Amino acid sequence: MTNMEFSPAIDQLKLFIDGICPLPRAQWTEMAAAWQPFTAKRKTVLTKTGETENYLYFVTEGVQRAFYLHENDKEATIVFTYPFSFSGIADSFLTRRPAAYFLETLTASSFLRTSYVQMQDLMNKYHEVQTLFFKATAFAMAGVLERQIELQCFSAEEKFRILFKRSPHILHLIPHKYLASYLAVDASTFSKLLSTVKI
Amino acid sequence: MQHNSNQLLDKLYRQTSSFMDEAVQRWQMMPAQQFSLQPSPVQWSAKQCLAHLNSYGDYYLPAIEAAIRKARQKKKKVSTVFTTGWLGDYFTKMMQADSNGQPLKKIKAFKKYVHSNNEEGDKVIAVFIDQQEKMMELMEAAREVDLNTTRAGISIAPVIQLQLGDIFMFITAHNHRHLCQAKRAAGIYSDGLK
Repeated sequence: MTNMEFSPAIDQLKLFIDGICPLPRAQWTEMAAAWQPFTAKRKTVLTKTGETENYLYFVTEGVQRAFYLHENDKEATIVFTYPFSFSGIADSFLTRRPAAYFLETLTASSFLRTSYVQMQDLMNKYHEVQTLFFKATAFAMAGVLERQIELQCFSAEEKFRILFKRSPHILHLIPHKYLASYLAVDASTFSKLLSTVKI
Repeated sequence: MQHNSNQLLDKLYRQTSSFMDEAVQRWQMMPAQQFSLQPSPVQWSAKQCLAHLNSYGDYYLPAIEAAIRKARQKKKKVSTVFTTGWLGDYFTKMMQADSNGQPLKKIKAFKKYVHSNNEEGDKVIAVFIDQQEKMMELMEAAREVDLNTTRAGISIAPVIQLQLGDIFMFITAHNHRHLCQAKRAAGIYSDGLK
């Protein structure tokens, strides 16, 4: 990747970080220097179950999926990521414990990527960077708990409506079997909802 | 005809990837009625076209996977050049469509690969998507084996063995042919295809 392509990605990263917790200029410069471009083909496993997540990704292109693989091949889709947002196995990255689930690309993907060691250094040096991670983690936790409520209480139709209110574009981006798995409904229920529910 | 093995796989992978993109962006979003539309009582709907391709995938994907597994165990030397065989070449040419996506030659499908228009459309699409995913995985895995000496039997007569490179080429051509037909049936004329 050339610098020409790299710089809009960094601009997007800055916009994204500013939305969570803007960093003073000098610290942002150090932060920006800690990221490298990275690309992966479709259906590439980025992190396997049992590995400790070493990277934090910022997605600039493509769709990724985190999924848990249960014995006898049953799998559950935990989360999708797409531009412009962070990706990676966040809990493993932060706790340094082995990942309980996989992260894979669903389409050809481009990222900026940084490592745990680099972020740890910056967090030790600057309390603003620590605040950034604290806030990003808080937002992520709020999202996870909200989804927990939806999964336990909402009907298939309610879950379907919420997903497409939140991210209507993913209907055309992601094979529906993964969306069905994300909503914890079976594939035939999903296609019935798709043909009957007015979005 | 000779091909650089990796470049050939790149090309076939890109084509399969575009079939996959179309399936995700177009086929899985299409209303059931449009997907089952037959241009005339004797012509297939888009659904029948995809079901036809799936029934070939049902045979070839496991056959290719087994062939690759076997070749890996033997650890044969991988040639950077792939030379098409005469029979493989014949099949690929037979499947080819012209630049407008029209078949160059009419072929009557074998009976067991002809599907009625009554199957459930969402299942047909889901299988098609799974198969394209699998096919791309196999094309990647094929980089570690020899496309000339790795062989698998053809669906209509498994005793006839074709080179893996030929199989990839004619399946991709076959997919392209019937996806163009499916687009015509569903009344879609994008990508300059008619």
